[in-house]
Amino acid sequence: MNDILSAAETWLSGAFGNIKLVEKAMMGLEGSYVELLTILSLGLLAVLPAIVPAQRRQRWRHLNQAFGIIIFIYVVFTCLGVFGMIRNFQRGLSEIGRENIVALYYCSVPATILVTSMLFGPAFCGWICPTGALQEWIGLLTGRWNRKRKAAGYPFSRAAFAAALGVAAIFLLWMMHLSRTRMFFVEDASIYWSEVLVLIVLLLVWNMRRWDRPLRRLRLLSFILVAAASALSLRVTSPVHLGFAKVYDPASLLSTVMVILATLVIPRVWCRYLCPWRSAIAWAGRHSVRAIVLDSAACTRCGICDGVCDVDAVTKGVIDSKECHFCMKCVDACPHRALSIQDDWRRPCA
Amino acid sequence: MRLTLFTTGVLLTAVLRTQADWSASRGSAQGTAALRWENPGALEEWHYAWKTQVRYKPGLAVWASPALALLDGRPVAFIGGFDQTLHALDLSTKRVLWRHMSNAGISAAPVTGEFQGRCIVFIASNDRTLYALDARTGTVLWTRELAPASPSLGDADFTSPLLFGGRLYVAGFVYDRALARSQQRAWLYVLDPADGRLLQRLEIGNGFVSEPVGYTAGGKTYIAIAARKGLLQSFAVDGDTPQRAWTFQMPHEVLGAPAVETGVPEPVLVLGSKYGNLIALDAATGRERWKRMAGNWFDNSACIGQLDGTNVVFAGSHDYAVYALRAADGSLLWRQPLGGEVHSAPAFFDLNGTPAVLVAALDNHLHTLDARTGRVLTSYFTGRPVWDKINKGENRWGSPVVIEAGPSTAALYGSFNATVYLLPLAAPCSLQARARSVRGLWISLGVVALAFGLTLPVLTRRT
Repeated sequence: MNDILSAAETWLSGAFGNIKLVEKAMMGLEGSYVELLTILSLGLLAVLPAIVPAQRRQRWRHLNQAFGIIIFIYVVFTCLGVFGMIRNFQRGLSEIGRENIVALYYCSVPATILVTSMLFGPAFCGWICPTGALQEWIGLLTGRWNRKRKAAGYPFSRAAFAAALGVAAIFLLWMMHLSRTRMFFVEDASIYWSEVLVLIVLLLVWNMRRWDRPLRRLRLLSFILVAAASALSLRVTSPVHLGFAKVYDPASLLSTVMVILATLVIPRVWCRYLCPWRSAIAWAGRHSVRAIVLDSAACTRCGICDGVCDVDAVTKGVIDSKECHFCMKCVDACPHRALSIQDDWRRPCA
Repeated sequence: MRLTLFTTGVLLTAVLRTQADWSASRGSAQGTAALRWENPGALEEWHYAWKTQVRYKPGLAVWASPALALLDGRPVAFIGGFDQTLHALDLSTKRVLWRHMSNAGISAAPVTGEFQGRCIVFIASNDRTLYALDARTGTVLWTRELAPASPSLGDADFTSPLLFGGRLYVAGFVYDRALARSQQRAWLYVLDPADGRLLQRLEIGNGFVSEPVGYTAGGKTYIAIAARKGLLQSFAVDGDTPQRAWTFQMPHEVLGAPAVETGVPEPVLVLGSKYGNLIALDAATGRERWKRMAGNWFDNSACIGQLDGTNVVFAGSHDYAVYALRAADGSLLWRQPLGGEVHSAPAFFDLNGTPAVLVAALDNHLHTLDARTGRVLTSYFTGRPVWDKINKGENRWGSPVVIEAGPSTAALYGSFNATVYLLPLAAPCSLQARARSVRGLWISLGVVALAFGLTLPVLTRRT
């Protein structure tokens, strides 16, 4: 078993250790590694959700997600992952006045995301985030099964429980292997997030109706922990972190694989319960000029919009702004056009 | 009686011998960065905390690599840094012998040598001046301004000196705002170590350059220097004037200095570069012998140690790993991932009979590795993390050195928290990391599970 795991790790090391397509900044600022094109591209991706035509909007969204993955994973060298972005934002703020180019680089992406979320809604989650896109696409494999479970109110299912146990077993075996072959430090905290993810999946499979809403509060705790670690200068690795660092990082790979496996059982499980950025983006999104608005007169309470939402943010056409990823699937799925996107510059701050 | 006194005197002289032959930035051309202490006394753990307002950035001190010497049978370290000061530390008594302040940051290691019965420390400061100081007292023996002052001069960067073939070599680059980029010049200076007389000055590029490294190949003596822009040059220094022997253009930028094999008829010269190329060249001809690729930057020098009769190249990369490759053909012996980018040059030494490698990584630890297998023997926590305050390639990072002394073997390392650590490697040490304990890892996982369980009622209550 150990040999198999070692061979797998060697393969993964080769597969993930060197996946950057761009070796040099395509539009680097003189004397720095700051890549301007990346920042501009991410800004464009953040604005696209507001300007693409309603027709074939979901295709545009998938295209946007694909570009997001290419830019984040294959071009950006500095970690802008779910944890790294909080950390780098803090670093960027501390660099203002000292190294303004570095400050610009680290602040620009999180600031763009927060500002565009305030203007155009929390579209980063639904349109750009590589971790979100990864979960959405992987979730397609078990989408039909999960939709049936959702329609039935997530009853206890032996198949789901067996799958959750399988996820837990993979986590434990992998951890046993890694604990013998690799040195772990405080910074490799993504293993703890993976552990909690596994526990969440077990708990949800056991009783989704009971635990779904309470567990979503963990996102705030996750944000606080990552922000605290950032203040202490601890480099906490996150899922998909290895994509930014151009290194084989077993802790990050483990958490990435755990997110992938867990999302097969519970759709968008990372976004729902543990993503720290989700707290910040939801806060910014609540102040958004753009919002999805329900025309109660046109709504027939058919529940189609509920069914298409991966994060259970819609209940009979009513959008929960704290949970909405602004993917606009509900808007596009509504046969009665009861849901629409409206801009309201006079909307009071929440 | 006279005979007894004479014999005692001879023996004492042998025992309390002064040994100052740290002639290159990492001790020698191989870059092993280890000094053997033949008749060791005890070396205790010491955290030399230096309080200064002159910092690289707030909260971040930068030390250059130290140099070691044995003065009267006691190991003494010389270490400079961004605080502009050279510190002489008596490691056996944990005492500061002297400090000498220059007028700018010191970004390169000093070297030591003996001349006219005196042990001398040579240090190049970024105040464009080379200093020769008495190692015992810190008295300035001579100084030489290498680049004349001018109102248009910008940042200066001077390398470690090299004592080789009775001459002192030092390279440097001073940015001149009055000149176009193509007109900027980096120079190699050749001096007389006795009095600092400038013998020659050679133009070697138009940007930052690495430390010069001296070596012998095919019966001739050479010095090699790498430019930041990747041009590696070797000069034959047998005659009066250094003659360019060969050049080699590295594929990317270079931050470290070359390391050269010794004791073989056709030695290889090894140099790493940005984006992870590690290239070995024939040291006599500059012909490429082999090339290997890591997952990320090599931003410091490699070192070459002899392992069971075979020369082995050790190098740390920003892909978190330390590599051990056979010097002859570049075949990989092992690769050991650590917890962060390996930013230091490795030190190769004997740890109580076990060949070992010491590296510093951005996981805030010094790691001792078994040189045969790559297994991590011990890790030491060396202060607050700095990963968020530095950029790759912005600086030449100080690297650890080792005093090889059997059970008293110790590492010396200037950490970014302004502390210079002397850490016993073969004896208990307070900074020994516990994070790698398997039991500790599983206990922490248990604690997280427990905390999760305890959080659940709170989450439910607040909903």
